[in-house]
Amino acid sequence: MAATKLQAFWNHPAGPKTIHFWAPTFKWGISIANIADFAKPPEKISYPQQVAVACTGLIWSRYSLVITPRNLNLFSVNVAMAGTGLYQLSRKIRQDYFSDEKDAAPQLEA
Amino acid sequence: MSAAFKAFLNSPVGPKTTHFWGPVSNWGIILASVADTKKPPEMISGNMTGVLCVYSALFVRFAWMVRPRNYFLMVTHSCNECVQLYQLSRWARAQGFMEKKELGGPTVKIDPKP
Repeated sequence: MAATKLQAFWNHPAGPKTIHFWAPTFKWGISIANIADFAKPPEKISYPQQVAVACTGLIWSRYSLVITPRNLNLFSVNVAMAGTGLYQLSRKIRQDYFSDEKDAAPQLEA
Repeated sequence: MSAAFKAFLNSPVGPKTTHFWGPVSNWGIILASVADTKKPPEMISGNMTGVLCVYSALFVRFAWMVRPRNYFLMVTHSCNECVQLYQLSRWARAQGFMEKKELGGPTVKIDPKP
């Protein structure tokens, strides 16, 4: 029973033999890269890039629910993009505007 | 002029459809990266830039194969591919990957510009 389901998945027109599967699946890489970058200091975060990532995530989240057929894989990956983008923005905003104990100027390592 | 514009407006991948506005939002990533080319390469995230290079390559193929075929998405990701590869080269140079003299691991160094 599981074997036929697996076969159905494998041979699906939007399955893992096709780009329709791998392109949205790889989009998870953007959120994973962002999560890896949570460890980096906020000075290195780019405002334009993270605003773009968050906005793209929000817009595509909405659209993935109104296209036919609904694509929940695309929906979840874009929700994750919006979430990680907004979190990175909050880290940078917190450092630039709300922390005045430490010097907020970026330090470049020699 | 008006007939062509009407054809665009009513196209199955035109501005009345989601197939148009998704790629429009993707231009935000491209424009952000173009703005970031003016910043010092130490600010570039190697993780994110590398991922975006692979992501855009995959979506060029996706835009070609999806039905209806989405040329706008294809052009969008082609442009992003160019910008991300350029940023990746700036990052690699700043990390020392493009040095010929030294052997050993990459070090974070400031690129001495003449």
